[in-house]
Amino acid sequence: MYYLRYMAGAKVPLSERNDMKRYDLIVVGAGPSGLSAAIEASKRGVKTIVFDENARPGGQLFKQIHKFFGSKEHKAKIRGFVIGQQLLDEAGKAGVEVVLNATVIGLYQDKEIVVKTGDTVHHYKGDSIIIATGASENMVTFDGWTLPGVIGAGAAQTLMNLHGIKPGKRVLMLGSGNVGLVVSFQLMQAGCEVAALVDAAPEIGGYGVHAAKVARTGVPFYLSHTIVKAEGTDHVTGVTIAAVDDHFRFIPGTEKHFDVDTICVAVGLSPMSQLLKMAGCRMSDDPKRSGQVPIIDGHGETSIPGLFAAGDVSGIEEASSAMIEGRQAGIYAAEFLGFISKTEMDNGEEKLDAALDGLRQGMFAPKNRGKNIEKTEEGIDISRNLLCRGFIGDDEIERFPGVTHKAGVHPVIECTQNIPCNPCQDACAMHCIMVGKVITALPAVDPSLKCADCGMCVASCSGQAIFLVNEDCGDGTATVTLPYEFLPVPDEGTRGRALGRNGQEVCDAEVVKIRTSPAYDHTTLLTMSVPKEFAMKARFFKANA
Amino acid sequence: MEQELIWDLEQEKQRIMVHPILGRIEKGRRVKFTYDGREVEGYEGEPIAASLKAQGVMIHRYTAKKHSPRGIFCAIGRCTDCVMVVDGEPNIRTCITPLREGMTVQTQYGVSAEPFENQ
Repeated sequence: MYYLRYMAGAKVPLSERNDMKRYDLIVVGAGPSGLSAAIEASKRGVKTIVFDENARPGGQLFKQIHKFFGSKEHKAKIRGFVIGQQLLDEAGKAGVEVVLNATVIGLYQDKEIVVKTGDTVHHYKGDSIIIATGASENMVTFDGWTLPGVIGAGAAQTLMNLHGIKPGKRVLMLGSGNVGLVVSFQLMQAGCEVAALVDAAPEIGGYGVHAAKVARTGVPFYLSHTIVKAEGTDHVTGVTIAAVDDHFRFIPGTEKHFDVDTICVAVGLSPMSQLLKMAGCRMSDDPKRSGQVPIIDGHGETSIPGLFAAGDVSGIEEASSAMIEGRQAGIYAAEFLGFISKTEMDNGEEKLDAALDGLRQGMFAPKNRGKNIEKTEEGIDISRNLLCRGFIGDDEIERFPGVTHKAGVHPVIECTQNIPCNPCQDACAMHCIMVGKVITALPAVDPSLKCADCGMCVASCSGQAIFLVNEDCGDGTATVTLPYEFLPVPDEGTRGRALGRNGQEVCDAEVVKIRTSPAYDHTTLLTMSVPKEFAMKARFFKANA
Repeated sequence: MEQELIWDLEQEKQRIMVHPILGRIEKGRRVKFTYDGREVEGYEGEPIAASLKAQGVMIHRYTAKKHSPRGIFCAIGRCTDCVMVVDGEPNIRTCITPLREGMTVQTQYGVSAEPFENQ
């Protein structure tokens, strides 16, 4: 209403009204991409303002409590919320002006925007604009989907990781992409029980290592299944799932019921590109970018000169790539505005280009979306069990280069898909672990080199896929050291059962060592003793009740 | 139409006290507010929805036409499923509105705090 009244009274062009503030650069969105853009532009003298509709800057980074993938330049093995804090500190130092609780509701000709704060709207004009609005969650509908207790995966993350509230007692997760897998693990870290992980697709969408760390705790995966019905009259009390055929039709007689109080939906993200569409940018529907995105050139510039897009709004990827795209957009905007020369721009972005290219490799790269990849870059058959059930079969694990055998303690790396990630290589001071220059290569373990049993590789692996194994301690037992990020941490001497990669109990186990260290960054190293024939099977510990 | 609280109201068992990665969860001042006429407590500054969730409140409102229940859905102020009547004003997104001492929070029926049978 305010807006209409304003427009009706606007006899002079908006740009000539006194109350319109003008900036060199307006950034919409203070998430990983927008903040990065504002930092780079501000550093080059560009007068920049950032608007964000949320009460806090940082976007979704502060809900990400897992260690990030990539290599050092991508801040690999650092947890998302720590990266968020580093970004805020950097923005503070660069003098970036961020306006919070400010929703940009319009983007008009000549780069004019309308911002709503509280019950008022204000107009701003930018000589250039970077849209970094990110993405919103997709939803699926099923019987009962509006019942309280059906929540988005983002809601679960917000409640537990920002506000310290458990989203539910017992949760069913729909969606096996990285969000579904990571949030399932985080739900367990928050003390919730995950009843099952369900996906209509026949194969798991996210990283195998994320699936494996959930599966080994005993969470069953139901691929080619989806939700028939959320049960309950005024809130969720249960859920029924059923198998689906190749055309995603329910197969009668395959229904399964779970008693749950929460259903968490993680079925993908869509770019929030409405402002760009409103501004008249040329758009395209691109499944590889997960939806309607602006057509951009190599510099993130849309069809409107000086209007840039960066981060998920121009195609769904990871926060790591959004930060690099943001930095690049900030540099491009500075060049567009004439604050730096083209040569300075090229110098600034050369390294960023290489870093971004490094992240866009491997079997999960945007260019490979929708492709059926059966072998790794090394030519090894990918584990079918991992794709269809969430864990690597005992008969499949030996073919991967991270799995070798020797006397004494040695790392066993169950990293079996080409993901851009290499902190394990840097973590090993003894150089036992080799990834090489191409960071998507599977890590290989050199059994001829001595392992110091320092545990740094176990803690450094963002996928929690590294174990330290002594296959024969000489007394009929073996020890297995695993990353453990749950509470309570069992005491040394605690007896229980070892679980296999599939989450099933395989043998008795006793905790013989618990290691914590600031260098492990909140990952506890749990060493359990098991009968030696289970050295290559036991991968998780469950204390006796 | 008073709803049953499905979790223990006194214990606030839905709160994570210590987290394996985040450590001890820091909160603001403990404050009193009213929820559908009952005096309850939460932490100042946290979203109203978080305080309610901690006590097991699932239903925030009933839709105008079909009277079907809605609760927290997106938790970031986007979907408007969690709106309630706060200090007499309807359609307040409780997932992004910080809790303050003495707030009056009421289940929303359509766009009113009056249950449908009284409207």
